[in-house]
Amino acid sequence: MIPTHWFLILSAILFTIGVCGVLTRRNGITIFMCIELMVNAVNLTFVAYARQFHQIHGLLFVFFVMAIAAAEAAVGLAIFISLFHHRHTIDVDEANLMRW
Amino acid sequence: MISFIIFFFFAAVAVIFAAMVVLHRNPVVGALSLVASFFALAVMYVLLEAPFLAALQVIVYAGAIMVLFLFVIMLLNLQHQAEPHTRPVQQFLGYTTSSAFGLALIYYLAKYGVTKLPDGPFVSDARTIGIGMFQAYIFPFEMVSILLLAAIVGALLLSGRTGVAKNEETS
Amino acid sequence: MFGLIPALTTIAVVPWGRPFLLPSGRLFEPIIANVNIGILLIFALASMGVYGIVMAGWASANKYSLFGGIRASAQMISYELSLTLAAVSVLMAAGSLSLPDVVWRQTGSFVLFNAVKLPAWNIFSPAMWIAFVVFFVSAFAETNRLPFDFAEAEAELVAGYHTEYSSMKFALFFMSEYMAMATMSALITTLFLGGWDIPWYNEPPNALGFALSVIAFTVKVSALLFVFVWVRWTIPRLKYDLLMKLGWKVFLPLAVINIVIVALFIAKRWI
Repeated sequence: MIPTHWFLILSAILFTIGVCGVLTRRNGITIFMCIELMVNAVNLTFVAYARQFHQIHGLLFVFFVMAIAAAEAAVGLAIFISLFHHRHTIDVDEANLMRW
Repeated sequence: MISFIIFFFFAAVAVIFAAMVVLHRNPVVGALSLVASFFALAVMYVLLEAPFLAALQVIVYAGAIMVLFLFVIMLLNLQHQAEPHTRPVQQFLGYTTSSAFGLALIYYLAKYGVTKLPDGPFVSDARTIGIGMFQAYIFPFEMVSILLLAAIVGALLLSGRTGVAKNEETS
Repeated sequence: MFGLIPALTTIAVVPWGRPFLLPSGRLFEPIIANVNIGILLIFALASMGVYGIVMAGWASANKYSLFGGIRASAQMISYELSLTLAAVSVLMAAGSLSLPDVVWRQTGSFVLFNAVKLPAWNIFSPAMWIAFVVFFVSAFAETNRLPFDFAEAEAELVAGYHTEYSSMKFALFFMSEYMAMATMSALITTLFLGGWDIPWYNEPPNALGFALSVIAFTVKVSALLFVFVWVRWTIPRLKYDLLMKLGWKVFLPLAVINIVIVALFIAKRWI
């Protein structure tokens, strides 16, 4: 049986990669994919702890996280489509209308 | 023994493809790499004795969300649009900050994380999950369904053609 | 390759005969992988099938192929929803996600409207009629067969996503399409047509019953494959916006309504 902290370390690595992507990329959709990656890393932590402590609640939280990630993907992609229609780019640095 | 090999192989797959998402400049390649990474995570769920969640991971993430991403990338025809390079300062700060964050995360996990093995097998079939969801978590479940409805309406409103036309007229 | 593997793997969880005791006393189960989340596995792998088409269309660097890939992704995403929801009705009646349990529930017979004695297949139960129609039509759309084959649509897109492929690569695409068709037929047989069950006949739990049940399963799958090809040469292609309208505005509500109907039937203990 594989120890739980190995999964936690894998999850930490994936989360770090996601953070790195959000900080360094400018393409909106890539940033969005990195956010999905971070969400998945957290999901892995939930499942690992659920097995560790024999609790079903961790798995149920993963369900809710998946549902919310789906909602987030739909709305976020709609925002990017709308942005593309207006600006013909999805570079997040160009979306500066609200900046003071 | 075989499960350790599977773990290391798919952990490597997950990490390498996740790195591809960040490093590759073409968003289509990024999306497909992310699919591979999610698939490796589904294998992790099987190793964690949650096959139901693994199937759900593949259906929802790899099957639905990532197809949506791919569809939008192809719809906007982004693969020909060269992404401008990030400023070197931002790149340097991003890499150092995130690696420092990751090292701290791994350090604290190694220091305070649980190291003993769980005792006994863990039952997580569809029946247990369903009972848990519809008894203890019925209220969050309903909240999530309302949230999804709101997301549908919001997405339609944002990407609808009439809204765009109206905004262009006013601006 | 990416199209063929999901199509081949999904058939692993479909039972293709009646289980029987070997002379050594071991129970022989004619199914490759008996997992308790069988049908979820099928839908998971079926949803991976779209990547083969999308990647093929995108990698061709040809605008018609790209159109084929984009259409396939939009179409398969919308029809997978109604496919899954139609299957949910059957799973609710069976009370299990495992396909052998679904088949066991359909053995035996029942009397419809106090008039005719019919096998207890799901298709004969009044609660399942809408689900069957939705599932059957969505199966065509999911496997990209003719009334809905917008991924290749030779009149509009040359040959769609596989325009640029020839010889063995093209053969892999065609094999994956036909394998997906066979898998869908096996799935329809299992979910609605009673799997390996022979109507009005109680198979003995031995090697003879096993052989008969395998023959029954094969006959049903072949008949469905015949229908697939038959429809291909009979019905012309729809318009693309009609396809999306049909999927989202007709089949999805119908599938949801049918879930409510099945729930009513279960509550009234008619099923």
